[in-house]
Amino acid sequence: MILGNYLAAVTLFCLGIYTVLTRRNLLKIVMGMSLMEASTYLFLLSLAYRNGSTAPVLLTPPHGQTPQRLAHGNVADPVLQNFCLTAIVIGVAVTGVFLAVVVRIAQHYRTLDADRVRDMRG
Amino acid sequence: MTTLSSLLPLPVAILLAGAALAPLAIRVSRHVLTAVSVLASLASAALLVAFAPSVYGGRVLTEYLGNWKPVDGQVLGVTFGVDAWGLTFALVASAVGALLLLFLLSTNAQLGNRELGASACLFLLLDAALVGGALTADLFNLFVWFEVAALASYALTAFFLERPPALEAAFKLLVLTNVASFLIFIATALLYTEHGALNLGQLHDALVRHTGGADLVALGLLIAGFGTKAGLVPFHGWLPDAHTAAPGPISALFSGLMVNFGIATIGRLVFTVYPLAGTHVLGLLMVLGLVSALGGAVLALLQDDLKRLLAYDTISQMGVLTVGLATASGTGLAGTAYHLVNHALFKSLMFLCAGAIVHATGATNVSEMGGIARRMPWLVGAFTVGAAAIAGIPPLNGYVSLGLIHDAVLGSGQPLPYALLVLAQAITVAALGKVVLAFLRRQRNPYARDERLRLGMISALVLLAGSCLTMGIFPEWVLDNLVEPASSAMRDAPGYAHAVLSGGGRITVAEVSYRYLEPLEVALVPVTLALAVPLIWLARRYRDSDAVRRIRSVQTGSVNDYAGYLVIGLLVTVASTAVAPLLR
Repeated sequence: MILGNYLAAVTLFCLGIYTVLTRRNLLKIVMGMSLMEASTYLFLLSLAYRNGSTAPVLLTPPHGQTPQRLAHGNVADPVLQNFCLTAIVIGVAVTGVFLAVVVRIAQHYRTLDADRVRDMRG
Repeated sequence: MTTLSSLLPLPVAILLAGAALAPLAIRVSRHVLTAVSVLASLASAALLVAFAPSVYGGRVLTEYLGNWKPVDGQVLGVTFGVDAWGLTFALVASAVGALLLLFLLSTNAQLGNRELGASACLFLLLDAALVGGALTADLFNLFVWFEVAALASYALTAFFLERPPALEAAFKLLVLTNVASFLIFIATALLYTEHGALNLGQLHDALVRHTGGADLVALGLLIAGFGTKAGLVPFHGWLPDAHTAAPGPISALFSGLMVNFGIATIGRLVFTVYPLAGTHVLGLLMVLGLVSALGGAVLALLQDDLKRLLAYDTISQMGVLTVGLATASGTGLAGTAYHLVNHALFKSLMFLCAGAIVHATGATNVSEMGGIARRMPWLVGAFTVGAAAIAGIPPLNGYVSLGLIHDAVLGSGQPLPYALLVLAQAITVAALGKVVLAFLRRQRNPYARDERLRLGMISALVLLAGSCLTMGIFPEWVLDNLVEPASSAMRDAPGYAHAVLSGGGRITVAEVSYRYLEPLEVALVPVTLALAVPLIWLARRYRDSDAVRRIRSVQTGSVNDYAGYLVIGLLVTVASTAVAPLLR
């Protein structure tokens, strides 16, 4: 059921936002961001899906099929799936930078509490 | 023409190549590093200048990467399409970028070799992303350039890992920019699912035929996303911290170029992708702009840290630019394009001066900066040129661009926004006047350090200050040759869409009427200056009062709160783009 996917994506996104807004632990904020990120992937893959569609794999078609006929048939949209792949790669890089910053903050401030890492204000 | 437009990807490619070469060049010597990175920037700028005659003559150059040409009006590959609006921003990004690099590489002599190479690499990467984002005509490609710029900016902010404030700033920047990237990502996917297109021209044609609810949600998400990059209130939480933590040239890069990218892109999306008649977005832009202009100016006036003060002023200037967009008239968009260039020039100049002052004396607070004028008259002179330009004092450039924006707001019959804009202007004058006056005061305490300016630093300052003056002295030339085509590009969406889909084309260039000595504008100069004097006095008199503390505590410093501001802003933008039309 595709509606279930959308609801799950929205719920995950809201849970992620909730975590970022309410948790003071920096690691939990990073986890909230990852949750939001994952929800966008679920959302995009659900957008790519059409009712009853198959995976957009056109190489080595099953017996009696040609790639052209497969492409004209009912396949999920590969472009949105490509978006996801790009975004996953970017997401890994961003999470890496995130965690590096958190590790250095932990070393410098000796805490992961966002409320004690707020020297710059006003 | 085909040969010329086939060179379109080259400015980006050169900057990327420079970024790849920088860490290798430093292995040879520092001079080679400086030569390689500054030359890469200059070569990219020179190529963009080669496009200038035809683009500013009203042409739109188009190049299909990988030769994926359109079939039946459908484009599969990434398209680069350059109109005068994009080219103006790209030119400024590469040319000012070269000066900032020169400054960066001549100041940070105390840095280790590896750090110097890495910082030049990240700088060029960010610059490449900005130029790429300005030249691209593909929505997903735009998202990718946004992410490249974002990653480079994370690394540049957190670059000085041994300084805790840099880490704190980097974390806030990471959270906010990352949320913004999710919003842009979702919006891109929504638009693609609705219309099956990513090419901006193709999207425009589809949106003209039908702008549905999902498209309007996507518009709200895009404005919130790029508004975060532009540092508009309430998406601005990351901006002051990131600018305070970074060294002067990096702050200048953020403030003068990266933040402008957000505004330039909002203009591109609102005017050339979406049909203006199908959206009700101008009111939202006007409100966002005025809140940013006033909020940023007030926080700047109450701020004592020099770089933080300038960062708040950046928020204020972004607000002024958004007001210019919100007028949607030829004059207003011309003012925005003009001010975009001016902001890159004078804000870079001021951040470089601030960085040099902090670097040379070790003082960071304005109140400790007495006696600077006597010790570093040239630096203070350059800073004053920048301040006077922002204050809109003729013959400097700010006078012309602010005049155009004021003119457009009044011309559209909106007296209240005009009054608020003038108030924001007066507060801005007060905030910067406070700094200049502090430089002139007598020295109280001895400075931690005492260093001298290097040749590279001086030449960058002189060139930027000279550009501010030139842009102000020859307004007619700038208007006719640069700004009119840029604002026309924003007003001729069908022309841009057609050009991007058919391998190049033309836009109609419309005249913008402007009178340099408009009596109201001339009168505004003494009025804002006169208003600024009591404001400076008030700000100093009530420096430690509860009210001031309460206003400043809006900027709580907590990353949770900043994310909260962003979410509130997001809800407001989506509500006003997607929900409000339903109620109408």
